[in-house]
Amino acid sequence: MKTTFDENAIDLTPSGKGYIATIGDKTVSVEIVHAENGKLDLLIDGNHVIAYVSSDGAKRWATINGQTFLLTRSSGTRRSGAGGEHASELAAPMPGQVRSVNVSEGEAVSKGQTLLVLEAMKMEIRIQAPRDGVVKELLVKVGQTVEREQILVKMDHG
Amino acid sequence: MFKKILIANRGEIAIRIMRACKELGIRTVAVYSEADKNSLHAQFADEAILLGAAAPKESYLNIDKIIAAAKQTDADAIHPGYGFLSENASFATAVDSAKLAFIGPSADSIRAMGDKAESKISMKKAGVPTVPGFEEIESENDFKKAAKEIGYPVLVKAAAGGGGKGMRIVNAENEMKESLEAARHEALNAFGDDRLLIEKYLPNAHHIEFQVFGDKHGNLVHLFERECSVQRRHQKIIEETPSPLLSPELREQMGRAAVTAAKAVGYHNAGTVEFVFDPSLSTFYFLEMNTRLQVEHPVTEFVVGLDLVQWQIRVAAGEKFPFPQKDFSQRGHAIECRVYAEDPANGFLPSTGKLLQFIEPRGPNIRVDSGFAAGSEVTHFYDPLLAKLIVYGENREAAIQRMQAALREFVVHGVTTNIDFMQAVLSHPDFQNGEVTTRWVETKFNWKPTEPSFETLIAAALADQTIANRKTQNANSNEPDPYSPWKVASGFRN
Repeated sequence: MKTTFDENAIDLTPSGKGYIATIGDKTVSVEIVHAENGKLDLLIDGNHVIAYVSSDGAKRWATINGQTFLLTRSSGTRRSGAGGEHASELAAPMPGQVRSVNVSEGEAVSKGQTLLVLEAMKMEIRIQAPRDGVVKELLVKVGQTVEREQILVKMDHG
Repeated sequence: MFKKILIANRGEIAIRIMRACKELGIRTVAVYSEADKNSLHAQFADEAILLGAAAPKESYLNIDKIIAAAKQTDADAIHPGYGFLSENASFATAVDSAKLAFIGPSADSIRAMGDKAESKISMKKAGVPTVPGFEEIESENDFKKAAKEIGYPVLVKAAAGGGGKGMRIVNAENEMKESLEAARHEALNAFGDDRLLIEKYLPNAHHIEFQVFGDKHGNLVHLFERECSVQRRHQKIIEETPSPLLSPELREQMGRAAVTAAKAVGYHNAGTVEFVFDPSLSTFYFLEMNTRLQVEHPVTEFVVGLDLVQWQIRVAAGEKFPFPQKDFSQRGHAIECRVYAEDPANGFLPSTGKLLQFIEPRGPNIRVDSGFAAGSEVTHFYDPLLAKLIVYGENREAAIQRMQAALREFVVHGVTTNIDFMQAVLSHPDFQNGEVTTRWVETKFNWKPTEPSFETLIAAALADQTIANRKTQNANSNEPDPYSPWKVASGFRN
């Protein structure tokens, strides 16, 4: 069975008491000693490893030896975030409230210019133009509450 | 002694104060907002009163509602914690007028130090060195003029402020307008006051602060320093004591200046005198005084062996502080790491969500002050501090090693945290040599998250595999942990 996290494809094939895991040209044997409440007690090539894993939709949180990674399970096709060369969509990095909109539709903006300002956790977050271009569409108003990854502005980079 | 104390705060500090109350046999009242109705601090208290909506102005910053809650529950004192109303003189006055005790300094001391302009003037008069700058100016033009005179870079900061909120570095004149607006707005939101002051920005400075403590009978001591130079966005993330930089002579000089500063405003209760320190010149300037309990107070508690919150309560009730300065010495070394829900790889943006796992480290001389548990919701309404991890060791090296081991045991899933980032700071030679300045994180420390290890990917894939197996074998399994990946087989959206 194949699982893909971000760009990494992991293949797990049942074998004996456990699995044979393959990532790229690396192959190891894996055995689950114990699994309970998000904690995995594993033997990887005979080495004892404790892993903590949680899931939230397509996201996987995994911690081994104090290091935590947020992995995204992908179904093969990768979502294109920026919308290609000539256009881009700017999304809210976190939930918050729109504090100011500093540009209007059709306005030419330069790279790094602040387009709008969000407020969250008493902090101000500036949404800036990633490249030179024109504001194609403004999808939010001052005072509006936005969700994480909600599209705020559509840009045209000609 | 008080019989019942209302804690006008939330999160870890509310719980820490309630613990001190419980130890002293005092009943506790929590206040909470709608966003915090399932929070640990509300559960931990003997009684809990709903203040109102999530927005701080409707809840934790609402003086009338908090006083009403204290009256309603028959509390005889209020502890403000840090942040929110802790340095609001009108709040201290309102508490007094309501015939309740305020656990903190007098309203006059708060006012004298809270107004950064007034405090600078009185510190100069008392002979305490201050940072070059201007106070009591308003227009953008006046700020530009002042900046020109001081010389860029300058710092504009909330006159009523603290905790790094409402503060901006301005490198050049064309940044002034936006910086003033942003700082003013943050200041208004955080402190209800949008006045700003300007001063010279010292880029290579260390932040060293002194804990002071006094009673209402004129006894006042300092409890040594805390080195708080590891900062991002002007907010501390790692603090320690003793500072690796101070010689015994400097420590004594700065301690004396801290006591002078506190005495100049008739201070009692716990307070912190902050200094900027230039190690190349061994000069120090008074920066400000925080007239409240500090986030990082536990490191001081470890090395001087005093429970600061218990003593805050006792001196507020009129007890004498019985220990003279000569009774105190620093024993061993303590470090605090602030575990924030934020993404260091993405400009330290706060991260929100439900905590799927939250496993705190344990062991000898490891202390965790936290306000969250698995299942808690981290919302965007409040400061993203999840927990403070504090360790004690015989010396600095031992304390660093203990902190590294403790951080490795801290597991937080559901929000991104700065745990890996702090781990990298602790192992960096600059930190180990005590050479970290307040700008080090921004300018010198080029941290990038590591790629997930082979083992991590396998573990994540195995968890998915196990879910798939469970689904076919035992679709209705009743897992005790609702956030276990083994449970949510049918919940996948992708």
